Amino acid sequence: MRTMNEWDSYQLQDFIPFSADVYFRLLERVSETFWPLQLFSLGLGVAVLVFALRGKARLALLLLAPVWGFVGVAFFAQRYANLNWAGHVLCWVWIVQAALLVMLGISGRGAAHRAGLLSGGTITGVLVTLVGLLMFPLLAPVLGSGWTQAEVFGLHPDPTAIVSLGVFLIALRGWAQWLACIIPMLWISFSALTLQVLEAPWWPALFAVVAAALGSLIGQSHPGSGRPYRRSSR
Amino acid sequence: MEGQTLRRQFLKLLGAGVVSAWGFPWGVSAHSSALQTKPIPSSGESLPVIGMGTWRTFNVGNDQELLAARTQVLKAFFASGGGLVDSSPMYGSAPDTLGFALKQLGMPKTLFSAEKVWSPAGGTTREQVASLADRWGLKTFDLVQVHNLDDWQEHLAVLRELKASGFIRYLGITTSHGRRHQEFEQVMATTELDFAQMTYNITHREVESRLLPLAKEKGVAVIANRPYDGGSLIKGLKHREKVPEWATEAFGCRTWADFLLKFIVSHPAVNCAIPATSRVEHMNENMAAGAAPLPDASTRQRMAAYIDSL
Repeated sequence: MRTMNEWDSYQLQDFIPFSADVYFRLLERVSETFWPLQLFSLGLGVAVLVFALRGKARLALLLLAPVWGFVGVAFFAQRYANLNWAGHVLCWVWIVQAALLVMLGISGRGAAHRAGLLSGGTITGVLVTLVGLLMFPLLAPVLGSGWTQAEVFGLHPDPTAIVSLGVFLIALRGWAQWLACIIPMLWISFSALTLQVLEAPWWPALFAVVAAALGSLIGQSHPGSGRPYRRSSR
Repeated sequence: MEGQTLRRQFLKLLGAGVVSAWGFPWGVSAHSSALQTKPIPSSGESLPVIGMGTWRTFNVGNDQELLAARTQVLKAFFASGGGLVDSSPMYGSAPDTLGFALKQLGMPKTLFSAEKVWSPAGGTTREQVASLADRWGLKTFDLVQVHNLDDWQEHLAVLRELKASGFIRYLGITTSHGRRHQEFEQVMATTELDFAQMTYNITHREVESRLLPLAKEKGVAVIANRPYDGGSLIKGLKHREKVPEWATEAFGCRTWADFLLKFIVSHPAVNCAIPATSRVEHMNENMAAGAAPLPDASTRQRMAAYIDSL
């Protein structure tokens, strides 16, 4: 017989108040509601990546900001909050990130003037961005759930956070980069834990994204690693 | 109000189909061919031994497709003679889902509605209960419990007033996952309660030593939550083992739901177990587990030893 005490009695699943079918139906309903916005948001994601690679970091950040605000309200406040009271809190967290991106975009603080295409940070950033832009929409159909459950940048939180994280690795440097990456990395980790509870097979991929991003952040923080870049003039 | 309450109790007894006991001390439901009932100690009212929980499973938001699916689950529950449905304001939209489904089903007569109030109390107990009744589409609740002992003194004082006014019929306290057992025991020992809800399943039997005997002694009905340990228990068993033959011979055990639920409800102090599910076929399995016969004391020991050995 197992005994239970206050602290070791808590399991991850105690903090996830919905079942897998409900969560994936939520993703599906978001897709259905906003179709064909997916086509626009994917195009926007590609544009953001191109701007980041061309050194137009501030424009990339300013384009990402409303996306975070939109997902915060449309996904978390209007839908996710029906399943989890934390949805309203998460909405505010996403709005805070949107505000941060506006501030960084306007001020230009930490913006990389141009990306060194062969640098480790940029390569990791591009790969992470492509995971969010291309892998996530393909997950559902590949795993047999159909296109209606496809998660897309700009509508669903996971690909939005992953694409943003990738862009920050390319377009930002220094403390601004760390600051911008905190909320996306926290969300992706939280989402990975949620997906683990829901037994979604791709949850380790999310942790891999966070690990890659963290490695890149640490690598770029190392003295000398930021040499190929210079801060944009304001 | 008293007349209404008596009439309601009579209808519930009728709905539960309590008939002669077939040798079991707590009676047998006629409707479900064998769904057993046990009396609530504080009133003598019979309650089917299998109820249902709603944690995770009934939190579906405003998704019409899932609302319709959960209505079918609830329909299967009542079709098998089910009674107690347990929810909480902590379970997201579960109370709203129940309200939707109960309306579709025309408020089944056997419904025994069980809700909870939680923290912070701060003078909101009445508000919480009224809001939950509105969400369920009910005028009164059968049972309101203090969730995880949160602000239990303040809540219980108000719940007693609500019980006196007829707005609720029973009151109780809950815990889960083995939390705060010492305080729980103290409240049970010193406070007049109708129900106590706690975690009890074949792998978590801590309550057998103190809480269950105390409930029996004090005449408190026990609701056992997490009968499948959040689902992991039955899922693990279904994957690796078949139901042992000796269990089939001893008490007609056919499924792991039979094995796990019959173990719980055969404890003399337990009134009902509340498994949660989102699937009709699992609901039917759960309800079938409330049928006679139940394992006797020595078989229960063998069952626990068997699971411990896995």
